[in-house]
Amino acid sequence: MSTTANRSDLVRTIAGREISVKLHDKGFIASTVVFLVVIVVATVLPALLQGGTPSYTVGVTQGAQSEAEIAQQLGGLNDDERPADVPAADITLVDVASVDEGFADEDVDAVLTVDGQDAVLSGRASMPGELLTLVTIAHAQTVIGAVATEAGLDADQLATLTAPPAPQVVLADPPPDFAVPPQLVIIVFGFLFYFSVLTFGMSIAQSVVEEKQSRVVELLVAAVPIRWLLSGKVLGNAVLAISQVAIIIGAGLIGASVTGASDVIGQVAGVSGWFLAFFVVGFLMLACLWAVAGSLASRIEDLQSTTLYMQIVVMVPFFAAVLIQDDTPLQRVLSYFPLTAPLLMPARMIQGTAAGWEPWVAMALVLLTAAILIVVGARLYAGSVLNTSQRSHVRSAWVQGAGA
Amino acid sequence: MSASTTLSVRGLTQNFGDRTALDDVSFEVRPGRLTGFVGGNGAGKTTTMRAIVGVLTPDAGDVTFGDLPMTLGVRRTIGYMPEERGLYPKMKVLEQLVFLGRIFGVDKDVARERAAQLLEDFGLSDRADDVLHTLSLGNQQRVQVAAALIHDPALLVLDEPFSGLDPNAMDAMSVRLRERASAGVPVLFSSHQLDLVEKLCDDIVLIHEGRVVATGEVRALREERAGRRFRVQVDGVADWRPNLGGVSVITTEADGTTVELADDADPQELLAAAQQAGPIGHFGRVLPTLADLFAEVSR
Repeated sequence: MSTTANRSDLVRTIAGREISVKLHDKGFIASTVVFLVVIVVATVLPALLQGGTPSYTVGVTQGAQSEAEIAQQLGGLNDDERPADVPAADITLVDVASVDEGFADEDVDAVLTVDGQDAVLSGRASMPGELLTLVTIAHAQTVIGAVATEAGLDADQLATLTAPPAPQVVLADPPPDFAVPPQLVIIVFGFLFYFSVLTFGMSIAQSVVEEKQSRVVELLVAAVPIRWLLSGKVLGNAVLAISQVAIIIGAGLIGASVTGASDVIGQVAGVSGWFLAFFVVGFLMLACLWAVAGSLASRIEDLQSTTLYMQIVVMVPFFAAVLIQDDTPLQRVLSYFPLTAPLLMPARMIQGTAAGWEPWVAMALVLLTAAILIVVGARLYAGSVLNTSQRSHVRSAWVQGAGA
Repeated sequence: MSASTTLSVRGLTQNFGDRTALDDVSFEVRPGRLTGFVGGNGAGKTTTMRAIVGVLTPDAGDVTFGDLPMTLGVRRTIGYMPEERGLYPKMKVLEQLVFLGRIFGVDKDVARERAAQLLEDFGLSDRADDVLHTLSLGNQQRVQVAAALIHDPALLVLDEPFSGLDPNAMDAMSVRLRERASAGVPVLFSSHQLDLVEKLCDDIVLIHEGRVVATGEVRALREERAGRRFRVQVDGVADWRPNLGGVSVITTEADGTTVELADDADPQELLAAAQQAGPIGHFGRVLPTLADLFAEVSR
């Protein structure tokens, strides 16, 4: 037995228990898995639904071969070679004798017949837009080619005529090139943080009141300074919260990379760092207050009322981030206000409206507030955690906490 | 035993609002001795114990253990069992003991070994992997005591360790406490079961309304408070009543007549009168039981 108390050992032991309890909590595991599934589905599903290049099988009657081949070639061009208004399509050509024969084959989506300048593209119930556009362009080229040859133009002149050089577009003030709308990224991060802070904040409060209600706290406080106990709790839950957020963001990024949305990864990974940094500091800023919400209660049932203000404090930044997305003075002010800064400052960065120095200033303000709230929270916790008989009030906790 | 491991409580005073919970409470718990802490409800036992283990900071007074103030390091050598108990209801029994052991600075492996041994001692080996709240209250109580012993404490402070135990469990608990005391550990425990305290304890501290009214060796205290009360049994005379000046009869029962002698009355005269009445079956001074003492001070 050691009579000297080792602070870091004790804090780690307490944090370890918090983590172990949570990892054995089926509800927690289930909610994390659901979250992961939602994220993966949300990133993978759109890619699967959009499904890349469409493919069609076209029946070609006698005399329509040249149009059909041009359409096939145009649709199969690489992205960087294909003109802007030409859609991509993977076209398979099948020789058929007539429209009816073509449709006898179930794989055939459309049949092309050409009689001089008249072209007919027959479809079943509807005509895919890409196919119609490609055949239209191909037919126009053929007709123009024929007319030009009659007029005696050479091959170069003909090429210039059928594929006129497009102007190069230059923008003086281009908006950032977003793979995903920034609004969406902000909402996803906002919700993730809201969910995570609420989950682990409640978890801290619950853990505190459980120890009060079961009176274990008396045993612990006899052997461990109250503030170390608090540190262990906050540390354990912070580790869990940060890991959960990191795993979910990671899963989202992996999902995006599997589906080849590398531009999404570039866009999100770039701001994830700041989002995470603000999340960590923002979580720590409120963590001790969550513990206070727990220690003011004397039974689990009291938590509903003692955590009410905390729930509001977490909800406000979430709605602020979702609702205030325009670059207004209000958004700028809120991006420095410590409660809303952890979401709104990264939001402004992702929108490209924050200067490079701004997040550092906001971070400093959040850190300062965190330092103050941790001191205040620790005192209130110390002043109320041993009052197991009834609900405590902030004022008496503050007075009691002076000597503790 | 060296005096250096004596627990000394000096001048503890504690007010809760207008109510004085402790008023200049002082006593000692000596090493190697079982000390019973006796008093009515609200007498101040729990407040005193909480002040000893540092859960409560008293308004005045101090506590030392082996002449050392109760710093964190000293407090961590105490095995404490709080009045309202305190274990995690949803944690497994063994896991819980290991966790508490580690809280007290016991190495994880050692804590695991000790926890297993304690559970065996208390007949709970088969419940090691059960969640605490699935155990009966009596068994939870044993786990609670095991929790107080997990770090091989140098001092035991147990609030009502016997409450809620069946007679077998009480015997087992008595053995454990005696064992610790024999190993030189000062043991302080509170109880309402006065007959048990009388039988088990070496010393007692009697507290009433926040004040220590008696403290010391159980036997000596009873002698000291015995007064001039005698029980006389005259064989064949069931209802013997002496007719002597300064002698008043308190009760006459099957096991004899109890009388109270005035200060100037001579016990020898009482004996002589009894011998005249018939052969003496019993003649002796009546020592008050702990219950008598308790009733006397709490009157």
